[in-house]
Amino acid sequence: MPKCTINGKEVEVKDGQTIMEAFKKADEPIAHYCYHPGLSVAGVCRLCICDIEGNPRPQIACNTTVTEGMKVSTKSDKVKEGVKWVLDFHLINHPLDCPICDQAGECGLQEQYMAFGKYEPEMAEKKVKKHKVVDLGPTVVLDSERCILCSRCVRFTEEVSKTNELGIFNRGDRSEIGCVEGKSLDNKYSLNTVDICPVGALTSKDFRFKQRVWYLKDSDTVCNGCSTGCNVKVYFNKEGMFRVKPVHNEQVNGYWMCDEGRNIYQFANKENRFEKGIKKLGGASLETMLPGALAKELHQLVKSGKDQTAVVLTGQYTSEEYDSFIGTLSKEFGIKKVYHWNQNEKQMGDFDGLLIRGDKNPNTKGLLKVFEKHQIKTEWQDLEKSLESKSIKNLIVAGPENLSVFADMDSKLALFSKAENLIWLGAAKVEALTSDSGKVKNKNIFVIPLKSFVEKEGTFVNHSGLEQKFKKATTILHETLTLTEVAILFAGKNLTLPSAVEKPAFVESQRRSDQVQLEHRKKNEFVFKRGTL
Amino acid sequence: MSIVQNSAQKSKWYLPGVIGGLGITMKHLLKNLISKKSMQTINYPEEKYEYGPRFKGNHILTVKKDGSLRCTACMLCATNCPAECIKITASENPDPKVEKFPISYEIDILRCVFCGFCEEACPVDAIRLGPEWQTPGLSGSNFTYDINHLAYRPALKGGIQSHVDDEERHKEGI
Repeated sequence: MPKCTINGKEVEVKDGQTIMEAFKKADEPIAHYCYHPGLSVAGVCRLCICDIEGNPRPQIACNTTVTEGMKVSTKSDKVKEGVKWVLDFHLINHPLDCPICDQAGECGLQEQYMAFGKYEPEMAEKKVKKHKVVDLGPTVVLDSERCILCSRCVRFTEEVSKTNELGIFNRGDRSEIGCVEGKSLDNKYSLNTVDICPVGALTSKDFRFKQRVWYLKDSDTVCNGCSTGCNVKVYFNKEGMFRVKPVHNEQVNGYWMCDEGRNIYQFANKENRFEKGIKKLGGASLETMLPGALAKELHQLVKSGKDQTAVVLTGQYTSEEYDSFIGTLSKEFGIKKVYHWNQNEKQMGDFDGLLIRGDKNPNTKGLLKVFEKHQIKTEWQDLEKSLESKSIKNLIVAGPENLSVFADMDSKLALFSKAENLIWLGAAKVEALTSDSGKVKNKNIFVIPLKSFVEKEGTFVNHSGLEQKFKKATTILHETLTLTEVAILFAGKNLTLPSAVEKPAFVESQRRSDQVQLEHRKKNEFVFKRGTL
Repeated sequence: MSIVQNSAQKSKWYLPGVIGGLGITMKHLLKNLISKKSMQTINYPEEKYEYGPRFKGNHILTVKKDGSLRCTACMLCATNCPAECIKITASENPDPKVEKFPISYEIDILRCVFCGFCEEACPVDAIRLGPEWQTPGLSGSNFTYDINHLAYRPALKGGIQSHVDDEERHKEGI
């Protein structure tokens, strides 16, 4: 465990760690492009130069191992000048594309220039022109003029996705990133190259030109695309959600996430959601109403037919919701017929070796845990049989959020339409429920829109049993409910709003002795303790 | 406090003042009758006064040599706008040399404060404030200017050409 000094701070690092990692540990700023903690060291950008005591020339931090008693600094004029002019070399052929570049606002070059560069360009030669808007594959667009050849993307396809599609071609200032002949950047993790690209050379086709990044806010959450439960950051503004990026978590996903998970923002957006509660009685036309009001109205229906009511749950909700939903319904009405709709029973154990799992529900483990807690042991066949024999009148279904992974949707809807009343709870818009296509033949259909995973807080239990809590990111549809709230309203109770002030804001006994009081105000005099101002 | 009161003697001298004033009026009347061009006023609704080109009135979107919009949809004007009256929807242009362009560019002119920050923020001289200043309208929709109005309204005679030209810049090696 060697100790070293980074800009005057003493840090202890593990054996074999580099100066760059020591800098990260000491929380000291250092310029770098090609270094990425999840990839091997390339040492091509030469930007992370630093002074090592006793060494005549600056060394690169990313490829130098820390030795005992090493004293490293980036504060000297020599290093500062060095970084500045290395940056100039990077920008020699870089076009002035910032106005139309999607990376502007979160660009490594812009940030490094403001932090370490700030020079006047001294290049008299013409810029070398390269290819623009190169179609690399189904998800990524390349602009090779903007590329600074840090080789992060090449190393990613080599080491992480192991597909080896990308390479650097030509020599000198004509070097370009490109796909190996006959291949295109088409793997399940291709969009990670866009994340790790420090400039705007690789851009995502999906996000391209949708928004400038400075209009977006971000919030951490857990991906609900599959049972891996990658830690992600969602980007949104008042117009909706726009993209998803991975967040580092060594226990779960490392630095990466899959391309499939990047689409999870789509089903949380308004256009793919039920916005209002929908009531369809008999052959009558649709009636829309507030979700809360509809849930409250259904209290009578559930109460009167409580022996003939069954509940179907998918693995797409939080553990807290399952617990309170099953708990409330069994306590209030004694409903024990709760069934687990598992759409991918056969692929449950599938795993591609990196992140993608066959179980496309984020919380199957959590649901099974709650089933165990409430001692619910039901079989799907029982539901099919009892629906067949018409012994179930009311069917409450907490449907999927992520419709794209529910391939058996149509067949399941056909099964559910054997019940007289179908109460559908769900965030995603299922066209068949509201259209007159005749796919859903229930006599009465009630649809209560729910909150999507970004609009609520809760816990997902991933494939390995790891409980991941996440907080609410944003609100997209205001009137929607969570399963917990639906259960409370079904039980005929009212929702209680959490009081804004948990504790009394003013406690008499905690008042400072010099605090201004009403008498002082009346007399227009203020008391100050000496020295407190 | 004291109130100054004109004495009876002094107040008699108002007559020369009135006659002098009337004289000035008559002088201008005769002058205007003889030469109409030097007249100071105009008959407003029929005649309109044109401000100089540097006046900050209604916005103009400039065009390239081929007549297409100069705007690259970088959103800097919308970001800089203190009144938040600019709304742009960007899209991918089939021409790889253009790459990004606006498919919709709307200015809510009733919110606009004519500060000219959009003009200052624009990196490619795509938006300017022009000399037009009277823009009456009968309904609210008349005050949301779209690309058609901003770049190709009849008063602009086919569009104002931008100073920034991509081809020239590329030839210079920038």
